[in-house]
Amino acid sequence: MSAWLEIKDLSAKVGEKEILKGLSLSVGKGEIHVLMGPNGSGKSTLSNVLCGDPMYEVTGGSVTFKGKDLLAESIEERACDGIFMAFQRPVEIPGVTMTTFMKYALNARRRAAGLSEMDAVSFIKRLKIRAKAFDISEEMLKRPVNVGFSGGEKKRMENLQMAVLEPDFCILDEMDAGLDVDAVKVAGAGVQIMRGPERTFFVISHNIGFLREQIKPDFVHILVGGRVVANGGTELMDEVEKNGFSRFYKEA
Amino acid sequence: MTQNTEKRTVVDVAERETKTLVETVLSAETVVSVGKGASLTHYRLAEDAENALTVRLDAGASYTLITLALGTGKLRIAADLAGEGAVCRSDVVYAATDDEVLSLQTDFTHNADKTVSRQLVKGAANGRAKASFEGRILIPYDKKEIDGSQQHRALLLSRDCEIAAVPRLEIYADDVKCAHGSAVGSLNAEQLYYMRARGLDESEARRLLTTAFLNEVLDGIRDEALRSDWEAQTAERIGL
Ligand SMILES: Nc1ncnc2c1ncn2[C@@H]1O[C@H](COP(=O)(O)OP(=O)(O)O)[C@@H](O)[C@H]1O
Ligand SMILES: [Mg+2]
Repeated sequence: MSAWLEIKDLSAKVGEKEILKGLSLSVGKGEIHVLMGPNGSGKSTLSNVLCGDPMYEVTGGSVTFKGKDLLAESIEERACDGIFMAFQRPVEIPGVTMTTFMKYALNARRRAAGLSEMDAVSFIKRLKIRAKAFDISEEMLKRPVNVGFSGGEKKRMENLQMAVLEPDFCILDEMDAGLDVDAVKVAGAGVQIMRGPERTFFVISHNIGFLREQIKPDFVHILVGGRVVANGGTELMDEVEKNGFSRFYKEA
Repeated sequence: MTQNTEKRTVVDVAERETKTLVETVLSAETVVSVGKGASLTHYRLAEDAENALTVRLDAGASYTLITLALGTGKLRIAADLAGEGAVCRSDVVYAATDDEVLSLQTDFTHNADKTVSRQLVKGAANGRAKASFEGRILIPYDKKEIDGSQQHRALLLSRDCEIAAVPRLEIYADDVKCAHGSAVGSLNAEQLYYMRARGLDESEARRLLTTAFLNEVLDGIRDEALRSDWEAQTAERIGL
């Protein structure tokens, strides 16, 4: 039987450029995995390929998610199946408020799960309660998605979406990048609030303090040149902290 | 203030008067005159309509026009900023789908000093529809402190639709601020990806992005019931 999420020999390219070159990874339910690797090693590409970004063409390998062929599904089917990515650079959507956006997103998932749409009162209640956890005001919920938000506010909004939609596989791509100390704490709150036996996380970050103190991963993987070159526990973070990625380049 | 026949609608707003007019059935011709210091807010629904609108603004007059053009039609908006300090704001939303053919022509003439014109035209075409926008701003040589702007933004929602834009600025004066721009393109792929990655299906995401884009203009309608009615009609007619 394959793991909850099984990535096998995955290759992907954009245009003529090969980025993922036979990447394999086995992930279980309820686990927290950290992905580390030098810039350009393919961490964001892997995340986007798992979400179905049409920018990337999968040229080989397979991904099985909860027993299904993930790569055969559309972007929205994957989302409704429980995959969620907190984007490294969330896009702005003028004219669509976060409240409207989340109502559509939540109801799309509910329809896919054969549930009725959530009534407006329950929805607003759910949104507001979860917004509080990330220090998001009601006024911010009425503003268009990500428009005019600072980097830190955008990350909080990504966290909020994760909390509202309750996905079971969460990918956090550099959630902490470019934030000050206080904002990093709020950014980490998403994982702390949401972690549990039913939910798996991929956390991509260069910030070892953040990973150690706030994420507390079960497994750590090192990506170099579009491949996973080392699998282990937090001792890999210690090694990267001391020596960088030099040893892993040799193994790539 | 309004005279209405099938051929011709005449609207006169007297000196210092303030009026709001909602027009939903258009004659072939509409003639508007806004008197000295008067103010008219004019909302027009042009559904499969052919109409030529002529507006004359006297000194200090203020005219705010929002036009919603749906389906096959031919619209012309000509404004004569005849009196000093007149301000004309004309916003348009157009949407055409299937085999509809829609053309919009605007022609604004700054015939007096210190006149201001503002145009925002937003449109969308789907199916095999053809839409065109031709916007002319004329500023004669002896006019001073003129401020004009014209912005056109449009979405191509299918491979087979067409949108043509022709801005025509004829500026013969020196003391002029005049900005214009036109951008015609498809829906933003990154926005679509982001929305679908949250679970919205592709058609839902496209519809939401398109109506958000067009509603920027309709949001200017201050009557809430009218605004939501026209927003709904637009969403329905866009064919998404
Ligand atoms: N859309 C794209 N177009 C062109 N090159 C890309 C694109 N996405 C990623 N790449 C390239 O692929 C490599 C891996 O990028 P990325 O996955 O963003 O790495 P990481 O997130 O590990 O820093 C880089 O060399 C990057 O320039
Ligand atoms: Mg990256």
